[in-house]
Amino acid sequence: MSTLVADTVSKRFGGVTALSNVSLELREGEIHGLIGPNGSGKTTLLNLLTGYYQVDEGDIRLDGESLARSPVQQRPRVGVARTFQKPRLLGSLSVLDNAMLGGWCETRAGFLETALALPRARREERALRDRAEELLHGVGLGYAIHRRASLLDHAEQRFLEIARGLVMRARFILLDEPAGGLTEGEIEHLASIVTALRDAGIGVLLVEHHTDFVFSVCDRVTTLNLGRMIKHATPAEVRSDPEVIRVYLGA
Amino acid sequence: MTTSSLPRLGTLAVGGILAVTLPFWVGDFYQLHLAALIGVYWVLISGLNLVVGYTGQLSIGHVGLLSIGSYAFAILVGRYGVDPLLTLALAGGLGGLCGFLLGLPSLRLPGFYFAMATMAFALIMAELSLAQGDLTGGGAGLPVPGFAAPFDTPTGFYWLVLLVAALITWMTWNVARLMWGRGLIALRDSEVAAAAVGVPIFRLKLTVFTFSGVTAGIGGALFASLQSYITPETFVFELGLFFFVCIIIGGRGSILGPFVGTVVLTALPEMVAPLAKLGNFFYGLLLLAVVLVVPEGIGHVIKSVMARLQKKGPEPKGLQPDIGRLAAAVRRGMRQDIQRGHAS
Amino acid sequence: MLTVLVSGLAIGALYAATGLAYNIMFSTSKVLSVTTGHICMLGGVFGAYFMLDLGLPAPVALVGAVLVGAAFGLLTEVIAIRRVLARSDEHLWLLSTLALATMVQQAVGLWWGTEPRPFPRLADQDFTAGVLDQKYWLPIAAVVAMALGLEFFYRRTMYGKVFQAVSEDAFAARARGIATDRTRALSFAIAGALGGLAGFAAGQLTFAFFALGLTLTLYGFIALAVGGLGSNVGALVGGVALGLFQTLATYLFGGEYQQTIAVGLLMVVLLVKPEGLFGSKKVRPV
Repeated sequence: MSTLVADTVSKRFGGVTALSNVSLELREGEIHGLIGPNGSGKTTLLNLLTGYYQVDEGDIRLDGESLARSPVQQRPRVGVARTFQKPRLLGSLSVLDNAMLGGWCETRAGFLETALALPRARREERALRDRAEELLHGVGLGYAIHRRASLLDHAEQRFLEIARGLVMRARFILLDEPAGGLTEGEIEHLASIVTALRDAGIGVLLVEHHTDFVFSVCDRVTTLNLGRMIKHATPAEVRSDPEVIRVYLGA
Repeated sequence: MTTSSLPRLGTLAVGGILAVTLPFWVGDFYQLHLAALIGVYWVLISGLNLVVGYTGQLSIGHVGLLSIGSYAFAILVGRYGVDPLLTLALAGGLGGLCGFLLGLPSLRLPGFYFAMATMAFALIMAELSLAQGDLTGGGAGLPVPGFAAPFDTPTGFYWLVLLVAALITWMTWNVARLMWGRGLIALRDSEVAAAAVGVPIFRLKLTVFTFSGVTAGIGGALFASLQSYITPETFVFELGLFFFVCIIIGGRGSILGPFVGTVVLTALPEMVAPLAKLGNFFYGLLLLAVVLVVPEGIGHVIKSVMARLQKKGPEPKGLQPDIGRLAAAVRRGMRQDIQRGHAS
Repeated sequence: MLTVLVSGLAIGALYAATGLAYNIMFSTSKVLSVTTGHICMLGGVFGAYFMLDLGLPAPVALVGAVLVGAAFGLLTEVIAIRRVLARSDEHLWLLSTLALATMVQQAVGLWWGTEPRPFPRLADQDFTAGVLDQKYWLPIAAVVAMALGLEFFYRRTMYGKVFQAVSEDAFAARARGIATDRTRALSFAIAGALGGLAGFAAGQLTFAFFALGLTLTLYGFIALAVGGLGSNVGALVGGVALGLFQTLATYLFGGEYQQTIAVGLLMVVLLVKPEGLFGSKKVRPV
């Protein structure tokens, strides 16, 4: 089985320890929730897994191979995609172009090949366009394919980021607060999408505040507080853990 | 980056025919000369457009690369009798090499630093062309030979310029509409998004900058031949600024906008005498007005007006995921993935 | 040889002054204005205009040049910075200040002429003083006064502290009720006044020349980048180093490669120490 692992990682910023000795194993075909109060280190852990930060101690491994020193740009090549709390899209391009950008790593056509529109460049373009269109219809953005991305509303932007990650053929997709700012109906869509991704064999990490959503879709949940892991178990167990209730869920 | 439609192809065809037949219907040789000058400028600007308009790297010193192409042409053809067409290619290669060497250190620098580095490069080139008198004729300058038949007449030269310009425009259009264009715009608008999808930031910047060096070198060779005499004064820093302004005014992320900008800004001062006297003041004023009023450039304004005219009714809304389609597409992607072997 | 050193110091002082002007504006706005060199150019040109064409006495001309510089600094902020910063696109201020710089340079060229014109003597002194000539020590004295004045301003005055608060964290300063817009405008006016002063003081060295602005924008920036963006000590050291380096190189190899040498110095420093000699790593380059 394929896994993306954070192995006893620590991260400090100046004198502040953001994470200390945290481990997390994300498996393919599984939805893994990551919850905790603000400042507990959730996004820091996600940034370590995706290479935006480098670990101070510990290791990041994909299928046993260390990624701890490989740069951000390497992640798409090995099938690790992410989304952002504040979606990072190219507003001046169409929805389709944004999704197709996810396919950057698998296009092989160089600059001259592209400039001269040689067969390989055109072939790759067609194949990528087809897949991006399918996936956009799949996540529910089929009606907006040729719209400028800057005209999308918040939920649409989030779904477009997921589609971009899927165009990348991600084996693992790490979602940073995907339910933030979504309506109930949109969260239902999101739930059906992440479930479908899991069933197709993708490993999904949900960094989330919306606990109902997390507990209803996740297979396993990790809870952080003040940079330490306080519980790692099934949703039902986490939900009834006294420590988790005390620091995060409340009575 | 959208598929070409019939009206667009029609416009392109009409424009093409007008451009090719231009020598037969313009009034005099002066206007033909002006048309050739616009074409020569455009050869450089269309390459620079990938750097400035698409990648967002504010190079204000491309006149330095232009001068390299010009001097290379004047010296190789004039002094050593090398074949002009061969030299045209050599000038492009030399321009590309110099662009590469300039970009290698400077493209790592942040915005203002990069702009200053390109400006310094332009000033250095001016200084060197003055200092290396044995090679460049110093302040007195160099005469520049023309091309061989059939490009030795004004009409023939115009067609040569047109051919080169069309070829380079086609190349930049391909780059812009295919995968590279998306990568370049990602560098301009969000380096975070670019990194997230694995775009190698520096390599892309350096590649398009090198390409812009090639077009500047070729443009420089044509420019020198058109001018027929070059001195360091021909390559004042303000000329580099002019190229830059054409693109910003025309609009970032567009090819047509900067082209219109080039045509208008080259022709206008020739047609309206008071503007010629104001010179750079006029370009500065235009640039300031565009930046303050329509920072996306005039091309963008036209585009959005057109879009508004074409828009019919409200756009459909409402996310409606198609889970079956999604799962099928994801599974298909994963299968292909395994077949290719993911480690590549 | 001594003349070489002193003239290097003098021209270096002008670069340092330009670097200081950059810093003053950068601290409150995080903008590096292309017009910075043009401020000094205006000080020189208007100083010469007031004295030669209008026949005003030197002290009045000095005040006039400082006022012109301050007005131009303020104008830069109002026209090219304020609206652009509100829109927060990182490239736009470069374009707007570049546009304004181009306009000013061309306007001065049309009005004043494109030939350098000599700047009148300020103090009674004949031309045999050698290294003690006023054209050397005036710019040096001006930049020393500028640096000391700025140090006093930042350390001892209320406004100076406001400047520093805005410089460190404009957002927090605004939250504490500081009018950051007005502070920024004031900083541009101050930079303009000091730039005008420096341009005036160095007038005999540079002549009153419309194209000086762009050159100074580049050299002042090199001084700043070498010394470290945001550091006033860095600007002084960088400016003097560049001035000495240039004059020495000119003395040894002839004057044909001034720009090449200046940029070479910048490149070496940026490769070895990207944040500059005195820059802090925390200051994120623009």
